[in-house]
Formats: sequence, C-alpha cells, structure tokens
Amino acid sequence: MRLRSRLAIRCAKLTSWLIKKMNRGSGVTLPGYVARIIDPKILSSMSGQIREKTIVTMGTNGKTTTNSILYHALKAEGRKVIINRTGANMMNGIISAFVLATDRHGRLDADYACIEVDEIASVGVLPQLKPDCALLTNISRDQLDRFGEVDITFNKLKTAVTSVPDTKLIINCDDILSYTLATDSGNPYVTYGISEQIFDDISRSEIRESIFCRSCGTKLEYDFFHYGQLGIYHCPNCGLKRPEPDFTASDIVLHDEVYSFEMADMKIDSTARTPYNIYNTLSAYAALCTMHAPMQHFKDMMESFDYGNNREDIFTINGARVQLHLAKNPIGFQQKVSLVLKDKTPKDIIIQINDTYQDGEDISWLWDVDFQYLADANVSTILTNGTRRHDMGLRLKYEDISCGSTTNLRESVERLTKNGTKNLYVIVNYSGLYRTNHMLNELQNTTKGEA
Amino acid sequence: MKLTIGHLYPDLLNLYGDRGNIQCFRKRLEWRGIEAEVIPFLSGDTIDFSGLDIVLLGGGSDREQELVCGYLKEIKQDFKDYVENNGVVLAVCGGYQLLGKYYKTDKKLIEGLDILNITTEWEPERLIRNIILNSPLFDTPVVGFENHGGRTYINDHTPFGKVFYGMGNTGKSGYEGVIYKNVIATYLHGPLLPKNPHVCDYLLEKALKRKYGEDITLKPLPDELEHLANSYITDRYNDKKYVLQETIKRYT
Repeated sequence: MRLRSRLAIRCAKLTSWLIKKMNRGSGVTLPGYVARIIDPKILSSMSGQIREKTIVTMGTNGKTTTNSILYHALKAEGRKVIINRTGANMMNGIISAFVLATDRHGRLDADYACIEVDEIASVGVLPQLKPDCALLTNISRDQLDRFGEVDITFNKLKTAVTSVPDTKLIINCDDILSYTLATDSGNPYVTYGISEQIFDDISRSEIRESIFCRSCGTKLEYDFFHYGQLGIYHCPNCGLKRPEPDFTASDIVLHDEVYSFEMADMKIDSTARTPYNIYNTLSAYAALCTMHAPMQHFKDMMESFDYGNNREDIFTINGARVQLHLAKNPIGFQQKVSLVLKDKTPKDIIIQINDTYQDGEDISWLWDVDFQYLADANVSTILTNGTRRHDMGLRLKYEDISCGSTTNLRESVERLTKNGTKNLYVIVNYSGLYRTNHMLNELQNTTKGEA
Repeated sequence: MKLTIGHLYPDLLNLYGDRGNIQCFRKRLEWRGIEAEVIPFLSGDTIDFSGLDIVLLGGGSDREQELVCGYLKEIKQDFKDYVENNGVVLAVCGGYQLLGKYYKTDKKLIEGLDILNITTEWEPERLIRNIILNSPLFDTPVVGFENHGGRTYINDHTPFGKVFYGMGNTGKSGYEGVIYKNVIATYLHGPLLPKNPHVCDYLLEKALKRKYGEDITLKPLPDELEHLANSYITDRYNDKKYVLQETIKRYT
C-alpha cells in the first residue's frame, strides 16, 4: 500500500479516537474528511481491497433498510462485510466506514462492502468506489430544497451510474423513473417488481412524479398504482411499458399484522408490517442473486430480521405502547398514515417536524401528504412539536382536525403514557430521530424501574 | 354565495405542496359559510374561463413546464381575456414564469402566455431558502420558501413585495413577484396561502366583489395558528445572530 494511504488511515483513526475521547459525537464523518485531505484517492485504494463484491444502495426511500438486509444476509453466510453507518452516506461517511475498518497495518479484511450512498454524493462516490452492483430503490420527491426538482436527482444518479459503465444496476421496474434511468444509462441491469396490488388507497397518495412518458411526453396509462408513480404502466403512444421483472414477489398475504410472500421458490414468513418492506426485501434478494452471493441462510435470516433499525421502534412506557416512526418525505409519511389507520384502537399521536438542513428546510411537502384520513383514525389527542410545529398544526387545521402543540416532548410523552389511550405514536422527521429514540429508551428504562 | 376555483394542470404542476393553496381557498370559504367548488383541469381538458372565479397555476419542473406550454397555446387568448376582465389568478413559481413572454432554460426557450410583460432566464445556481416580503398591500409580512433556477425580469410591472429576507425575482433586484390587476404571481411556496391568510382573503375578497358587487366584505376568522406560523419565520430572520449563523452555514 502507498505510504500516503497509510498515513491517511493513521490520521483518520487518530481523529476518530480523539472525537470519542472528547465525547464529541460518534465521529463518523470527520475521520473520512481527514483521510481524504491526506490522500484524495483513498476510497479507490480501499475499495480495491474488497475480496468479493462491492454493492451500493441508492434511491429516495428504503436505502437504509435494504442495505441492512444485504449486510445481514451476507453476515449470515459467514462473510466479512463492511457497511457504512446509518445516515453516514456522503463521501466522508463512506470513507470513514472503510478506513476505520482496517487493521493495525491499515489493511482491510473484508469479503463484501455494502454501502448506502446519498443521491447527491453518488456523483463523486461511484467513480472512486467502482461498485460491482448498484441497487436503486426508487426515485421520488425528497428534500426538494436540497435536490431542487426530482429531475435533478434523476440526472445526478444518471451521471453517477454512467461514470461506471460496468456496474450492474438492480432496478425497480415498477418505477418509470428508475426504469428509464436504467435503459438510458447503457449499464447492464436486472429488474425487480411486484405485479400484485398490495398497497391500500390511503398509502397511495395523489402526488406522483413523472406519469408522463419520458421518451415521447404522452401521459402514461396505469393498470394500477402501488404508491407514488410506482405501478404497472404503459405509454399509449410509443409503446414503452413496464417490463416483466426478472425478480418478483408473489402470493403476498397479510396475516396477523405481518406479510408472507414468495420469491422464486422461496416462501418467506417475514416480520414486515408494511408493504414497502416487501420491496426492500425483494430488491436485496435480486441483488444477492445477481452477485451470485451464497444464500443458504437467507430465508432464516429474513424471517427474524428486524426492519426497524431504530426507525420503527416500539417502547413500553408507564405501561403504554409507544411507537416511534420516521417520516421524512411525503411518500414515507403517507405510509405511516396508512399504518396508523390499520390500528383500530384508540390512540394519541405526537408529530415532530423540524427544518434543519438535514431534514430539509422546506417543509411544504407536508401539504403533499393526505392527512384527512386521520380524522377517522380513532385519535384522541394530536400534539405537534419541533421547530415547525405550527406549520404541522396548520396542515391539520386545514383538514378540520384539531390538535395542540408542545415544546416539551418528554413531558408530553410522560403525560400521554400516564393519562392517555396507552397507545401512543410518535412520528418524527430526520433530525429528531436519534434524540427521540434515546429519550424514549430512557423513559422506558426509568419506568421499568418504578414498576 | 359560491366561488368556483379552477386548478390548472394539477397532473403536471403540483410541486412543493402547492395544492395547499387550493385547500386554503376552499376552507376559508367554507368556514365562512360560502360554497367552494374546485375544478381540476388536467392537461388536454378544455377550460371555460367564464365559469371561473379564481384560477390557480402552480409550479412544475422545467421538463413538465415544457409539456404544459403546449396546452397553454390553446387557452392563451381566453386566459388573457379573463385576466384583463379582472379575473383572480394566483400563479406560483413555474406558473408565475409561464404568465410571462418566455422562460429561457439552459437548453430551450419555453414560450409563455404573454399575459405579463416579464421574461425569465435560467441560471445554474438555484435560489433556495426561506423568504420574507413586505408588501404594500398588507400590514403583515408575507412568508414562504423559494426554490427556483429562473431569474425573472419584471420590467414596468409592480412587484408583489419588497424582499426583507431571501432572494426574490432575480436575487439582486430586491423585489419579488408581480401584482397586476387581480393577479398575484410569485415564487413563494410554503405553500403560500396557509401561513399568509391575509393574502388568501385578499384574493377571495377580490373574487367575491367581482362576482357579487363591491359591498361584499369577509368576516374575520380566528387565525392564531396562522399568525404563529407566520411570525415564527419573521421572528427568526429578525434575529441578526440567526441570520449570520445561517449565512455562515450556507457558504461552508
């Protein structure tokens, strides 16, 4: 290895050690920054040391879950796998994941790397990483203040994948945007998709991207929509249509709050409570097959898989069931509204909306969510919280749904778990997730002690 | 009483929660016991402007705007007559640009409706941030979020407001939007109306007066929450320390 790379790794590790020592956060991006300043080509030289395959996961929704499935599937086969930590999906976070995984001599000991990549960062990351496969979950509107328009996201991803023409794409062909990206790019690709209607009306939302044919501009016709612009489409003018997917999930059944389904000859009794997690499982399955990765333990691993990864956690506080959910864009929030409606028992809801850079400073997307359904969701109390709690309140007001607001989340959770319906949903957007998770954990532990 | 609101091309122009403007029109009429009918006109539908009291033209991506442009040609004259006849229009972002003569993007020239004597030119750096205006029409500031690549030159037109914080029409002019007859054209999303009920009521009153005569006035509504949401943004950008912090963050 080059001396320069070794020095970069040393310094990155020292930085990480210092951050931890000084208790200044988890130190997942700064070490990468330091390493890159010393050796701009560090990522290329690191990824070259992966023995088997490198796969990146990109797209608007489902990145983290899908990447986590890939990681656990490969671990279940006894392989050594590198993964970047949740949210650390920009250049520096990815470099950190590699350099901090090296041994004392700065060498990597890994069979696979499963790397989640932010859409904007993808343009810089992919040419250096040169992944064998790139999995694309879907493309829809997300943080428009960062991305501008969905077409800009589309073009970034396209630039990224065309810069690595040998990388095989794993594409959701129910998504016209992803499918067009694949056919335009010239990269080799395989497709996955679901041909059954598994999403209900509520989770579907009216807001769609690009239901106009990208080659001729004609309005696409749909047999049905999954959600957003995902569905079974064809163009009545030029003949473009959703292809028969190479990988599919079928016989999808919801039973006792969880889904079972079949992929090829494998039946999975999953722990997935939401239909989009079937997509995540299917896409990971398609990617593993495409990489010719071993899959003897895939079924067992999947059937005990925790889809939550801190984004959908359940706590018991003061004897009440408290669910924490992340909702950071309209499609994601719509799915949560649908989930809330499936629960027929009385409930309280707290919604926290912040507008930091991480969250997206533009919170107008709240108006793209169909909140009117909450009027019939057997909700006792709704409280809004976060910097933009009044905007959230207004959104509900204009559906004639009454709500209060709070600036003290912890106190509200304590009060509602003691005196409320004993069934509390806490829905937060990105920046509040870890703090809230931590706070709920703490409350769970303290009330356990009291009981 | 009843108002009919035409929502133009929601299948193409539906960015940034702009349908919240429709919801705001609708609810603020209903809460006052006035009937509201919303008619969505999809691309290709024929539009009879004589039956409309308010027209909303929202924003879309550059690609979708180009598609809209084709449909606009068919309604150009009718739309123009409606505006000259004091018809009420709210045009946001892409809709604002389309009211002008043209929008020149990096690749193409998109022809507009030529209702306003304005032109828009694309520049690579998008203007994206919270924005606050002081408009001579209102005592309360107008707050929103702007996100546009186009720079709009408004020539002799009256701007909608003076920029207190944000970029506005060109990022340099210090002004934002256009007011012409009963048209408000602006870059402000948010969506615009829920946090600015004064703007919503202004347009509703214009439409009611046009239809039912000048002596119509609107009953005030309890707008505490609207004012809290509005003043949260104005307070934030009145705080010099916050503005400095945000500026530093933006450029690092």
